[in-house]
Amino acid sequence: MEPYIRMVGITKKFPGVVANDSVNFEVYKGEIHALLGENGAGKTTLMRVLYGLYRPDAGKIYVNGNEVKIGSPTEALRLGIGMVHQHFSLIPYFTVAENVAIGLGSWRNGLEIEKIKAMIKDVSEDLGLYVNPDAYVHQLSVGERQRVEIIKMLVRGVNVLILDEPTSALTPQESQQLFNVLKRMKDGGRGVVLITHKMYEVMEVADRVTVLRRGRVVLNALKGEISEKALVEAMVGKEVILGSPEKRSVPQKGALSVEGLVVKGDRGEVAVNGISFVVRGGEIVGIAGVAGNGQRELVEAIFGMRKAVSGKITVDGVDITNKDIRDRVSAGLELIPEDRLGTAVIPKLSLFQNAILHERWWDPYSKMGVLSISKARDLAKRIINSFGVATPNEQVQAGSLSGGNIQKFVVGRSMARGARYLIAVNPTAGLDVAATDSVRKTLVEFRNSGGAVLLVSEDLDELLSLSDRLYVIYRGKLVKEFLPQFDRLAIGEAMMGGQQ
Amino acid sequence: MNISGIAIAVVLATFPSAIPIWLAALGETVDQASGVLDLGVEGIMLMGAIAAFVVDYFYHSALIAFIVAGLVGLAFSAVHAFISITLNGDQVVSGTALWFIGWGLSGVIYAAYFGLAITPPSVPTIGSINIPVLTSLPIVGKVLFGESPLFYISILITIALWSIMFRTQFGLNLRSVGENPLVAEVMGVSPVIYRYVSVLFGGFMAGLAGAYLTVGLTGSFYFDMTAGMGFIAVALVYFGKWNPWRVSVGAVIFGLVYALSAELESIYTSVPYQFFSMWPYIATLLIILAVGKSAHAPDALTMPYVRE
Ligand SMILES: Nc1ncnc2c1ncn2[C@@H]1O[C@H](COP(=O)(O)OP(=O)(O)OP(=O)(O)O)[C@@H](O)[C@H]1O
Ligand SMILES: [Mg+2]
Repeated sequence: MEPYIRMVGITKKFPGVVANDSVNFEVYKGEIHALLGENGAGKTTLMRVLYGLYRPDAGKIYVNGNEVKIGSPTEALRLGIGMVHQHFSLIPYFTVAENVAIGLGSWRNGLEIEKIKAMIKDVSEDLGLYVNPDAYVHQLSVGERQRVEIIKMLVRGVNVLILDEPTSALTPQESQQLFNVLKRMKDGGRGVVLITHKMYEVMEVADRVTVLRRGRVVLNALKGEISEKALVEAMVGKEVILGSPEKRSVPQKGALSVEGLVVKGDRGEVAVNGISFVVRGGEIVGIAGVAGNGQRELVEAIFGMRKAVSGKITVDGVDITNKDIRDRVSAGLELIPEDRLGTAVIPKLSLFQNAILHERWWDPYSKMGVLSISKARDLAKRIINSFGVATPNEQVQAGSLSGGNIQKFVVGRSMARGARYLIAVNPTAGLDVAATDSVRKTLVEFRNSGGAVLLVSEDLDELLSLSDRLYVIYRGKLVKEFLPQFDRLAIGEAMMGGQQ
Repeated sequence: MNISGIAIAVVLATFPSAIPIWLAALGETVDQASGVLDLGVEGIMLMGAIAAFVVDYFYHSALIAFIVAGLVGLAFSAVHAFISITLNGDQVVSGTALWFIGWGLSGVIYAAYFGLAITPPSVPTIGSINIPVLTSLPIVGKVLFGESPLFYISILITIALWSIMFRTQFGLNLRSVGENPLVAEVMGVSPVIYRYVSVLFGGFMAGLAGAYLTVGLTGSFYFDMTAGMGFIAVALVYFGKWNPWRVSVGAVIFGLVYALSAELESIYTSVPYQFFSMWPYIATLLIILAVGKSAHAPDALTMPYVRE
């Protein structure tokens, strides 16, 4: 059988990364094709190329045997290709029918809502996609919104539907309903691409599987031909990694301890569901997990950016659960946030102003409310020199530095403030090799000198090479603890919800 | 003067005072529905006012005066459109610049044509349309059926805009661009085209509003004659929750406040007139306070759309 879509040799580069590297990918009508891979493997990029959102640097796309150039989503839709994005693209203050109708007819037409409702009914009824067309989207649950997204595409007559991690925000029941819909679509002769991290989803619905790793296809097979083990191995790779280098210290006394922590997410759902662990001085404890399993909420709760619903957080035995951030910093807690330019520094302020951001109200940088610029500049110079930040001087805007140098500065600032407990979130994301190395070295030295690090990262290699111990977080719980020598495969399985 | 005399005078002056804000606010409604805030309305109105005055003074045609004023407004707003849509500039800065330029330039143009005359030049105003029979009804007859042609035009535009915005594919696309241009684009709607059309339309309407002040209402031009009406028009869009009907109601309420303050100003001459002329602005503040957060503004209002 001829595939409906054939992508050949697709390469897509972003500054500093090759997101897709000569990727071949096919979609057949009447099949569900699962696209797997770790965070950052290039799944979304590949599908955005197919949907006309990115122009590939190399490669060809054939639809129905004909070579096509897909320059925009409108052209993709015309070719019968639809996509439901990781983040929904609906307008909350429009009704379901209005959302479906955007851009649907010629602009000269009247808006015949009744006709659109009939179309919605038409495409959704036999698939079991029930939503009320008159409801406003902001009133709908996540599962219902997703159905609206799917309906939007079906009304446009797509032959192939791409879903980017459709179940990441769904309850298990909602996921099950979605799978039933997908199966019916497939039986009706449509093709489906399902991007996912979850093994059981692949096993349940997929007919064909492609695994991407660092932008390359590492596996492409029919589901029946391949074992679950082989899939996990393809996703996480085979290299054995030995655990933390220069391992030296025995854990010392003093600890950051979290007990029974429950935290709510942005939509009020339980994002962290009863997590307990201890990080002692002299160790790096890793948290591994697929993005969106509660890592962000966990970190924000520990650092005081988000309220804990229940549970207890202590530093050196002192309860800080309901303290504000300043008290936490005084207790020796420091955060290296993921979002460098948004949370860690103020891009338009100079380096020396950024150096004393937290210190504002205390000696020696402020006397009776008046800043001591010279002391602040000394501090900034110290950070710049000891951590090798490449910058003309301490007076340039923080935002003018490269990502790697900003990160060195941020890490150095935490050290200069006398951190004893460090929470680092994806500390090397987007950094080049040299900067990555420098940041990791700083973390290890900090650990060796008795500091405690909670390392939350999406980069499994980073976790395996730095951590002294490692937990896997899945759906808001720490499902398993691992010690060196780390079993990469078992960690990968736990991250994908297996073996609980 | 007795109470009913005052009341009649105020009611008769309500619609004429409402029309300039009304026209400008209808244009701004479309502007904002597409996600572009145009704070330059005040300056555009002044440009429309002077353009219409000059044309009518030299060519003696109110119709041409209105058309030229609309086109001048359109051309002026094209600057704002280019800066905020094509260059992704700051809409507040660009709009404010437009206001200043229109404010100064209209005065300069006036001085260039007419200098400093002792008796300011004037043109005949366009007067009103009297609908036979109905005009002779007591009170309402004169108010509803003996108004300026612009009154009827405003009503027609209100109806047309409402139908277009809420009953056509074009209107839905337009509003989706104001809510989330990325979503619109992915569904095949070009945010750039829709925003340009909206901003140019808003400029055209503000030009007409200015023309009404000179050619329609007073017959003369004087420096800064809008005195904040353009900003009140912007505020009215919030009051009207981006719906042409509500915006119209708001404009009429403001017409009433203007008429009342003008009438009282002429009666109570012992009270400093500034006391009465500040009422419309106080009313604006009260409205903004009252509407507050209850209204849903287009989500992408003032946000440039930068394509990835
Ligand atoms: N618009 C962009 N600009 C620059 N880099 C990008 C862009 N989009 C993606 N990347 C980079 O390309 C790589 C692949 O990203 P992509 O989003 O395709 O991964 P993914 O497999 O979908 O991951 P996830 O599971 O986290 O969604 C990553 O390194 C990412 O940082
Ligand atoms: Mg993705």
